[in-house]
Parts: sequence; structure tokens; C-alpha cells
Amino acid sequence: MNANRAGYTLLGGWIVFTIAVIVVAFVFALDDEPPAALYVRPTPEPREPTATPAPRIGLTAAQLRSRGLDVLPPVTMPDDNPLTAEKAELGKILFFDRRMSGNGSVSCATCHSANVGWGDGNALSLGYPGTLHWRNSQTIINTAYQAKLFWAGEKTSLESQAKSAWTGNIAGNLDPIMAEETMRQIPEYVERFREVFGTESPTFDDALRALAAFQATINSRNVPFDNYLRGNQNAMSDAALRGAGLFVGKARCIQCHGGPLFTDQSYHNTGVPPNPEFESDPLRQITLRYQHRARGVPEEVYRSADRDLGLYYTTKQDSDKGKFRTPPLREVGQTGPYMHNGVFETLSEVVEFYNDGGGDDPNLDPLVRPLGLRPDEIADVVAFLESVTGDPIVIQAPDMPEYAVMDER
Amino acid sequence: MTSFIRPASSRPKVAFLISLALIVMIGAGVVSVLLIGPALHEGNGGFVDRAEASSASAVAAQVPETQADLGRLLFYDERLSGDGSTACASCHDPNNAFSDGKPLSDGYSRGNPYFRNTPTLINASKMPVYYWDGRFAQGDLATVVRDHIAEAHFMNLDGRLLIERMRQVPEYEEAFIRLFGSEVSYGKVLNAVVAYLQTLESSEDNPYIAYKAGDQGALSAQARRGLALFEGKAGCVRCHSGDLLSDGGFHNLGVPDNPSIFEEPQRHITFRRFFRMLGVSEFAIMRDDPGLYALTADDADRGKFRAPSLLEVARTAPYMRGGVFESLEQVVEFYDAGGGGSPAKDPALKPLGLSDAEINDLVAFLESLGSPADTEVEPELPAYQPRTLGAN
Repeated sequence: MNANRAGYTLLGGWIVFTIAVIVVAFVFALDDEPPAALYVRPTPEPREPTATPAPRIGLTAAQLRSRGLDVLPPVTMPDDNPLTAEKAELGKILFFDRRMSGNGSVSCATCHSANVGWGDGNALSLGYPGTLHWRNSQTIINTAYQAKLFWAGEKTSLESQAKSAWTGNIAGNLDPIMAEETMRQIPEYVERFREVFGTESPTFDDALRALAAFQATINSRNVPFDNYLRGNQNAMSDAALRGAGLFVGKARCIQCHGGPLFTDQSYHNTGVPPNPEFESDPLRQITLRYQHRARGVPEEVYRSADRDLGLYYTTKQDSDKGKFRTPPLREVGQTGPYMHNGVFETLSEVVEFYNDGGGDDPNLDPLVRPLGLRPDEIADVVAFLESVTGDPIVIQAPDMPEYAVMDER
Repeated sequence: MTSFIRPASSRPKVAFLISLALIVMIGAGVVSVLLIGPALHEGNGGFVDRAEASSASAVAAQVPETQADLGRLLFYDERLSGDGSTACASCHDPNNAFSDGKPLSDGYSRGNPYFRNTPTLINASKMPVYYWDGRFAQGDLATVVRDHIAEAHFMNLDGRLLIERMRQVPEYEEAFIRLFGSEVSYGKVLNAVVAYLQTLESSEDNPYIAYKAGDQGALSAQARRGLALFEGKAGCVRCHSGDLLSDGGFHNLGVPDNPSIFEEPQRHITFRRFFRMLGVSEFAIMRDDPGLYALTADDADRGKFRAPSLLEVARTAPYMRGGVFESLEQVVEFYDAGGGGSPAKDPALKPLGLSDAEINDLVAFLESLGSPADTEVEPELPAYQPRTLGAN
């Protein structure tokens, strides 16, 4: 009994101390020097372009193009939401506005931060206060190109994705009517919405359009791989060029990660192992069961829920359990940790996972099989993945327009 | 506006401090688990282990013996709100006569402050209608609880999340099964809270109630003179009648609105959304609380509000739906002057011509309307515990 009591006391003290240390650490992290560019990615030494370009090693730009890899075309937007600079600027302000959440504490930028490749840098996203999210926060870079959004691809437009993120109970927990009245209380929003959309007062649907417009401006910049395709023979390192050959060949990545976006926009089960946090964290478990209820699965599926079932929630087909939408690989060098549950910290871990033939799952996609890559080849594939990553996209957070007291009538 | 960009140079520092924390965590964790070890092997349904639950809080959470006991725990539990910030007790503070002492309620978290005064919950289960505008009917207290948990301006919690949060607390999971016969559901949560609310009644030691029960000495001579005025010259009893000192009806007294509703942008936001949701077409331009009108769209109902029970009025300042009067004296003076200036005011309200002594007598009577305040000790709430994954 005394031993028990001593244990409890020690445990209590340990919890308090740990929290204190973490708080102090964050205070240091937040209150420090002026902002600086982050994620300085090693780039190859600039070299003079050769007059007569010839591939030093690996595949030529034309060969890579013939395999479907390419630079991204210009962004296109839906017919009902043409892109304008004014709309994107409005969307940028909304993206950073914490008042656009249920308790006024979180904005889109909370989990999609320019600091960490426009994700949140965590294995699993934080989500709304009082909850913890169940999936990895994805980058918003290049999202305007994607036909399917979210890890299980259940949304097909940026606008509908934004609605889910703003209103979802473990994301923004925002009431749309409250949101409209919030924007109406901010004269700068009223003015900007009037200019952009011609409405008397801001609407939630237009706010979604503005967010989508902003996201459509956040796209890869100065990507070594794209520069190579455009003719700069020195844009990629030798390792990256060797990796490109493996990517389209022996490593079989291109089976799913093809096209300019490096995704087939389809669904696959690669047997990603579970994130052990779900075994120990009560808040993650709450969210996991909540998702099963919210997505309407049979009782026995809810009762045995121990993991994210991905595409299954949409189709309710057993064969779709564990299938997730192939994520685009552009910018993957700055968007770790990886996979829908963030279970891999580094690209090397990811490539090794595939080299081993993926994970252990009865629904494992037959496209996934042991690759027999040597360690140096794994490093080459990683170098290639880093070469499809562009410059960090760092923007200054906009000034937040303020509430005003509304005049009578 | 500070930049959102976190300086790169602070990262190693953070990493170092977090590593330090981890080392201490692991060390202390190993030692404490060794010490607690023997207790870890008790079986415990779908939960990983029970021993850690009691170690997390030195004082063991009390085991609820009735549905009302369970409801009391839930009443104090901030996990009944979306962001875990707001419990029923946050505004209906048991140590403040189940009210908050503020003119206008804080509402949910820091997002959406409310635009009306928090009423006491004492005797709430006996009231003929609920809310200042009477938008819910008697006997449906469970719906009132549901409205509080779910509404964006009160607790803003999704019902499915609520159930899963309850299921993550072994003491709650066990208590619902034991006290309701089957596992937790949304309805059972509501009913448990209702069972607790039904225990909140005025005490028989409330001087007025004791007096009515035959204890002549319970009211001072001055308070007895005030009671005579209450029932006579001052005419209070016309609306504040019956056991609850409320006729359950709606009246327009011309009470001024609390200007904070429109001067504080976030309150105004909550106000507009509320009336927009209720279908009041002029929600955006209204600069007064329309009261019952929001339900009936009958101009005759503009500015009418439910007559509140006065049984605990000595303890529930400030007064009126906007909390505009700080003291009972101000309230009595308001009525003495014939109520407010609104043209739609109830014609029964006329200047009363009370003398200063009579005003004092009436206030003395009103101050006898209050049960002795018991000090409520906030219960120790059971904590979330990890469940065995897949055993739901």
C-alpha cells in the first residue's frame, strides 16, 4: 500500500513536472528571434547549363515524360469559382482567422502551417480543442489540382473540403450561420465580399469559394525535377536522377504515383501499420469510435473498430477496408511524417516499407510487392522524392481585420 | 499581429527540453509502475487497466449511487462541451445559487457570449416553461439540457462525440449500465442531468417558505410588512403568484435592454444568429431583445418575457433578462416608477407611490426569499482512460 502511494505520488509529480517542462519549452519556442525561412533544403550547387545538353545519367526529360511524369499545368478552377487575386486575398485572411472556429481559437493555419510544409508536422493532427484528430494533417500545396480530397478522398472539390474542415466536430466545429454573422460584424470582410462576390453581406458558401481561391495560389515553386524536365540538366543531383529511374522502374512507385501530380487519384491498401497512439491515447480512441458512428457503419464494425478503414466508410465494401487515396508526392520532402496516420517519420522509412513489400494486411494491393532495392538504391529514391519538392512557400500572416460595433440600421 | 512563422533557431532548444522531459518521464514512469505494479492486474472490461485511473487523481472519484448522483458529476463535467471548456456548472454555479452573478451569460468558451442573464436552476424542474422567452415547455427539461449541450452558443458539443467521451471514462460507462440498465446513450445522459436538476429545490429553511409553513418568526416584522405590500399595494402578486411566485405568463415591463448586447461585437453576433435561427426576419437590424415575439411573430408579444420565480431572488442578482438591475432596491424602484418607458408595456403597470419606508419593507421581504446557501464541494471527476483497442 505504501509502495502504491509512493508510486502515485511520484507519478503525479512526474506529470506536473513534465507538463511544466513542455510549457516552458513552448514558451521558448514562441518567444524568440524574428522569423526566418525554415526548412533549408540542401540543393545542388548551381552549375552553368551546358551548351549541348546531354543526360549525365539516368533518364532524359523526354523519357520521364513518356512515363507520364510532367510539370503541373496551370491551375484550373470550377466554373462557379473563377480565380481572382482579390478573392484569393480574401481567402488568405479567412484561412488565418481564428474567429472562424467554434471557440475562436483555431484557424485553418493552425493545422496547415507554412512552417511545416502547410501541414502541421505531427504524425496525427491536433484537431479541435478538447479533441485529437485521427489522421495526418495534409499539405495544402497543389491541392487545387486534386480530384479527391482528404485521405479517403471523400470530397471532390476544395470548396466542399473546406466546409468539412470548418464545420467538422474534430476540426473547426464552426456553425455556418455563426460564421456568416461573425463575418458580417467585420467591416473589412463585408467590403471585400461585396467587391469579390457582389453580395450585401458575406455568405458561408462564398467564404468557401474564397478559401479555395487562396489554396489555388499555393503551388509548388522552383522544383528541381520540374526544372530538369524544362531542360536544366543540372537541376537534379546524380542520386536524384538515379532515383528517378528507380521510381519509374524497379521501385514501381509509378504504378500508383504517376502523372504530373504523382498520384493516380485512386485507392490502394498498402498495409500501413497502425499508429500505436491509438492503443494508449483516450482522445484518439474517442475520435476513432466517433468517426465510425458518424460515418454510419454496421454495429459490429463499430464494436471492433481498431483502425481507420479509409475508403470503406464511403463504399461499405469489406474489400475497401484499409484503402486510402494515393497522396500526391510533390512537396513530400517537406511534409513528413507520412501516411494517413503519420506512422513513418522519414522518407527512408517509407521507401524501406515499400521495399519490404508493404505491410501485413489481407487486403494488401497486389501492386505492392518486395522490391529488392539495395540501401544505395533506397537512398537514390529518397533523393528523387526530395527533388520533386520545391522551395518552402513562406508567406506573412495577414493582419486580421477587426470587429466593429454595428451602427443601428 | 505576430508572425506565424516559428524561428528555426529555437527548435534545437525545444528538442532538448522535450528530450529532458522524456528522460524524466521514462525514469519516473518506470519507478512508479514498479511500485504500483501489483494493482495493475485487476480485470476491467474494455479498459486497459483501472489502477492508473485512481493514480491520476489522489482522491478517488466518488461512485454515483443514483441517476441524480451521476447527473451531478456530469453537471460539473467540462467534457460535455465541444472544446472541453464549459460545464453546466460554469454558468450555473452551485456556489452562486446555480447562477453566475453576471448581467449576461458568458455562453460557450471564448467564442460566443450569450445575450441573456443566467437564471438559477433552483426549482427549474417545476417551472411551467423554460428560458426567458419560454421557448421550451414544461416537462421537457431533457430537451432543455439537450439544447444546452448542442447549441453553438452554450456548449457546442456533437451528440456522437458526447457518447464516445462518456464511454472513455470507465466510471461513467459502469454507472450508466448500473443505474440505467444498459450502456450510455444520449438520452441517458440527458436523463441523468435531469434527475440531478430535479433535486434542486428551495430549502424548507428558505425564510419565506418556512413562514408559509407556519413559522411566524421566520420573517422579520419588516419583511412581513413587505409581504403585505407584495400582495397588496405594490401588486407584485399579479404576476408573481403561486408556490413559485410566478404565474408562468409573459409580460412586457419595459425593462431596458442591456447595451452590451450591441456594444460587444461577439455578443451581437450570438444575438443575430439566435434570432436568425428562430426565423425572425429583422434579426440583422433589431436593437432590442424581442422576447416572446421571436416565437409568435405577434407584435403584441414584443418585449414580453416569462415572469421568473422569485423564491431565490435574494441570491440571484443581477436582475431581469438583461441583468440591468444590480440590486433588489433598483428593481423595486423600477416598479414603483411604473416600469419602463416602452409604449408596449403592460398597462397594468402604474406608478405605485411607495414611500421610502415601504420600498425598504418590500426589499426586506424580497431579501427573505433565499434558501440558506450550502457550500457545494466540487466533485472529483473520473478521468478518461485508454480502452482496449477494438473492444468497443
